[in-house]
Amino acid sequence: MQCVIMKVHHENRKIVIKDKVITALDEFVLDFTRILKKYTDYVVVSGYVVILFGRARGTEDIDTIIKYMDKSAFLSFYQDLKENRYYFLNPEDADGLYEMLEEGLGIRAAREDTIIPNVELKFDKDDFDRYSIENRVTVFIDQSHVCVSPVELQIPYKLYLRSDKDIEDAVYLWDIFKETANIPLLKKFMKALHVTGDPYGIEV
Amino acid sequence: MSLVIRMELKFDKRENLKERLEFIHFYAEWVKKTPNKVWSKQQADLINSFMLNAKNFKMSREKYLKMMRK
Repeated sequence: MQCVIMKVHHENRKIVIKDKVITALDEFVLDFTRILKKYTDYVVVSGYVVILFGRARGTEDIDTIIKYMDKSAFLSFYQDLKENRYYFLNPEDADGLYEMLEEGLGIRAAREDTIIPNVELKFDKDDFDRYSIENRVTVFIDQSHVCVSPVELQIPYKLYLRSDKDIEDAVYLWDIFKETANIPLLKKFMKALHVTGDPYGIEV
Repeated sequence: MSLVIRMELKFDKRENLKERLEFIHFYAEWVKKTPNKVWSKQQADLINSFMLNAKNFKMSREKYLKMMRK
């Protein structure tokens, strides 16, 4: 079944945003993930997902969950990034960065000579992260694409985080996707994360 | 000797969030009924200006990482 929301074609974990004017932030994310996807599965979560679907706000980091990759794959990824003029903000060398990932810490990469925006990478750590990766949604913009977490998980997760900014993001995603989201699935995640959207008009 | 500052703050956090959420509803509805080319052009103008400004970000990466860990 194909649905139309915000002139977006939403079908079976694929969304096409036709005629979107590509921002410098989109270019950054598309370029970085073009390299990343050669080495592992990934999913972009949180703020950029909301911006991708139209919210007019900035973000300094792109939160990205990656599937476990072995050290050899990481070293190749590290080298590829360097060749494409990216660097890691963390002072650790490639071995140290990999250790950080293994310890569940985030590592941040940016274009040379910049700090913002940057991509924060973390290995998947729990069932929610793994669900996001396994059920990622591919969003096509321009001639490229980026994989994002399903909105049915993003909305409850944003409510779980509870800051004003996160609640605003949850409400925005709900407003955009309420006609096309999988409501039983959304309810399931809300229950799992012990959150409710009722006070903010997210009535499922 | 301690200095006691007596000032009244009338900022209502809950009311502020309510007003912001009203704007979010309004904005989301606008995005849904506006051609992609139009809303995304406005969004791009805003985000590109943020990105341009980010180039002037003078904080060292050490300080930035320290700030992000807090």
